[in-house]
Amino acid sequence: MNAPLEAGRFGSGQAISRVEDPALVTGRGQFTDDIDEPGQTHLAFLRSPYAHASISRIDTETAAAMPGVLAVYTGADLVSAGVKAMPGPGFARPDGQPGASAPRRALAFERVRFVGEAVVAVVADSRAAARAAAEAVWVDYDELPAVTDVFAAMKPGAPQLCEAAPDNIAAAMNHGDAKATADAFASAAHKITLDLHNQRLAPSPIEPRCTNAWMADGRLTVRLSSQMPTGVRTGLMAALPDLAEAQVRVLVGDVGGGFGMKTGLYPEDLAVAFAARQLGKPVKWRADRLEEFLSAVHGRDVTSRAELALDAQGKVLALRVHGVANVGAYPTGTGVAIQVLIGPWVGTSIYDIRTVDMRFTAVMTNTATTGAYRGAGRPEAIYIIERLMDAAARELKLDPAELRRRNLIQPEQMPYTNPLGQVYDSGEFGKILDAGLALADWDGFEHRRAESKARGQLRGRGLASFLEWTGGNVFEEFVAVRVAADGFIELTSATQAMGQGIATSYVQLAVDVFGVPPDRIRVLQGDTDRANGFGSAGSRSLFTGGTAVSVVSQKTVDEAKQLAAQALEASATDIEYQAGRFNVVGTDMGIGLFELAAKQPEASIRVQGSAKVGGPTWPNACHVCEVEIDPATGEVAVVAYASVNDIGRVISPTIVRGQIEGGAVQGLGQALCERVAYDSESGQLQSASLMDYALPHADGFLDFKTVFDTSVPCKTNPLGVKGVGELGTIGATPAVVNAVIDALDTFGLGRDAEAIQMPMTSERVWRALHLRQLDPSPYRPS
Amino acid sequence: MNNISLRVNGQPKALAVEPQTLLVDLLRGPLGLTGTHVGCDTSQCGACTVLLNGESVKSCSVLAVQADGGEVTTIEAMAQGDSLHPIQQAFVDCHGLQCGFCTPGMVMSAACLLAKTPQPDDAQIAHALEGNLCRCTGYVNIVAAVRQAAETMSAQPQGPAAGARA
Repeated sequence: MNAPLEAGRFGSGQAISRVEDPALVTGRGQFTDDIDEPGQTHLAFLRSPYAHASISRIDTETAAAMPGVLAVYTGADLVSAGVKAMPGPGFARPDGQPGASAPRRALAFERVRFVGEAVVAVVADSRAAARAAAEAVWVDYDELPAVTDVFAAMKPGAPQLCEAAPDNIAAAMNHGDAKATADAFASAAHKITLDLHNQRLAPSPIEPRCTNAWMADGRLTVRLSSQMPTGVRTGLMAALPDLAEAQVRVLVGDVGGGFGMKTGLYPEDLAVAFAARQLGKPVKWRADRLEEFLSAVHGRDVTSRAELALDAQGKVLALRVHGVANVGAYPTGTGVAIQVLIGPWVGTSIYDIRTVDMRFTAVMTNTATTGAYRGAGRPEAIYIIERLMDAAARELKLDPAELRRRNLIQPEQMPYTNPLGQVYDSGEFGKILDAGLALADWDGFEHRRAESKARGQLRGRGLASFLEWTGGNVFEEFVAVRVAADGFIELTSATQAMGQGIATSYVQLAVDVFGVPPDRIRVLQGDTDRANGFGSAGSRSLFTGGTAVSVVSQKTVDEAKQLAAQALEASATDIEYQAGRFNVVGTDMGIGLFELAAKQPEASIRVQGSAKVGGPTWPNACHVCEVEIDPATGEVAVVAYASVNDIGRVISPTIVRGQIEGGAVQGLGQALCERVAYDSESGQLQSASLMDYALPHADGFLDFKTVFDTSVPCKTNPLGVKGVGELGTIGATPAVVNAVIDALDTFGLGRDAEAIQMPMTSERVWRALHLRQLDPSPYRPS
Repeated sequence: MNNISLRVNGQPKALAVEPQTLLVDLLRGPLGLTGTHVGCDTSQCGACTVLLNGESVKSCSVLAVQADGGEVTTIEAMAQGDSLHPIQQAFVDCHGLQCGFCTPGMVMSAACLLAKTPQPDDAQIAHALEGNLCRCTGYVNIVAAVRQAAETMSAQPQGPAAGARA
């Protein structure tokens, strides 16, 4: 083995095979549902068929007597057993009162507030028996009027979700200076207004949620598919009676996609853990896809009136956005923060806009709770500003790229503080914009448009130049390193793998420090007995957890050098470490790292520690999309997609490309096909299966041109990396939509085309083209 | 209960199953073959795809009794020891997976395609995978992986037998 060569080939910056893959491609993954505990029992939920109803009586007698049934629990049972409700949204209402929510419980108590809310839990010795018994439970409901629309929900007399909020407003937040903004609009040469609906989406990881709980040595153990094991532990401790931290362990195996949807504790997890404690048996629940659509958190769902004031030259004077977010029946802190705070943080994006008036209102309705979905607030904000930029360019008859260029923050303005107080450490937005335009052959578009026209197709071009915030604002991560005599280095982290390949990136960072082949390094995650922290969300894992891997690995080498000095009876200052070996400089004396570990107590060298980074990262990019519309059908096809992405230093180039392109397809899904739909009268979920909710399929666009610009390292972490997990999703939606609108504009709709809303299905586009039918404004304040 | 006999990954199996037992539940439960996954309840996602008598089927939509007398191949039979099947190797090489939950179904659908159409074009690959959903990769690298596998397998016509029993 030539170790330095190994390190060079497999360290950071190299495209290596993922360490996750051999198990996953052979069916040896360990997803939660793949493992049964001895004596495994199964839990099934009976869910509310009504969007809003009071529960008058629940008859569980028949179900309890059915074969194999071990227990039947109602919300009342859990309340009387001391199970508490989950935390509300925090923040504050416009009247200054605390943020409002009805108590979010493991099982509905007295009232149900959305279709699919869990009402009864049945545990039985098989999944089939549990489901059959759940069907045999009789619940008497008194149906109540329901409301699914935010503007209807705020009207006097609307059905009310909770006592504390007669107007159904869970929380609200204002940012900026309304007066200065109004003054800027009064004197502006150009004013642009767009009413935009950022529709509700189902995150839809292909692995449905699964939770298995059991008692081991008197402790509650919960294995589940989650991005945040420690957060789940905290939630369990808060809600279940008499559960101290030492009495609960949360385990996470392979996670079949997260996308933000698997952050934190779900009511169902609580019910499973409660049942396991009550019965003293392992209890498992695996969600059906139907249950995922009904009761996993949804993302987005905000309707905004967005306005831009510009001077005659196209310099933006002020931005005004008033948004109303539908946060569902039981708003959470995360769901509300995404809409009223996190989105606004990037509201001015890469543009030097000093004057803003942003007001966001989070409104409760009889729909599933919303939460994090890839991008979480930033896709909504970037969609708004990028739609406004295109509309302004159309109004001023300027090239959309030129209008953007006139408003960019310049490199010499770094670090730049935006009107929300967010500090960008780095960014050369003009360079990235120009590179993106060049990659997309921006100037050659008219030729391609003519070619498309000759084939009877309407071609459009869309641009999104943008940045985003990553990090979750938790900047410290812990890592434990164990060098074992058997020849392996174990890294334990509380960040969580969910398909993003973080273990591989950590291996590469450790290879940089240890100089050993990658197969000598093992990454352990998903066990609250080993490591605790914020978990993986907000594109934070690499720059926080990776920094900790790098720092603690170096600390390990430094401490091991002291041990080597003892073993070699030499001074530590005379010892150098290279490629798995400590050598006394100028001699042939030395000892291997693993050999050294064998000499230590417990035959291992253990070092642990935390590392802190200086702030969020601000990845940014220029994405350019071209579409063709078939005028006969209204079908939109993406035909070109080029992006230049400033993501700082790249550790795992293959993984990064996969994140950007896979993420872009999710953004494309929002632009073109995905939408969670509730019937406005009954509150029934109309998009409750994969037949009705249109995910992108394999027959879509595959020909991405993706370039990384690594010339602007992040300054707030020693690796110089920027978060990359959400960038593609954030850029793709506005790039695709701007392209569709460009095509409709050129067809003859002009600025009227801007009224079209997502998703841009063939029906919507056909109606716009041939009937001039465009969407009515979705923004309807009373 | 119904008694059925079938071959699973080359091994003869005789079992008693409930008439309503799905093939996927037989595989994941009594047979312990948990590489075949369940991602939906309406046979859309394709994570449960296996080969039944050489045809790709969604094992959530096949009753165990329908497989009586049949030959079932699952993801677990694709590799020969530590040697990955060319399709599996191509998924690794092309970064054709992220979370890996859909991957076994993708590999089995690809195996069926390549057994019948050894040199598919991209449109044929995409068409063959339309019944398999992936939320992570955007399909870009999955299609590339199947393309690579086709090239590898065409170059070695005597390649691993599993999955090529159309």
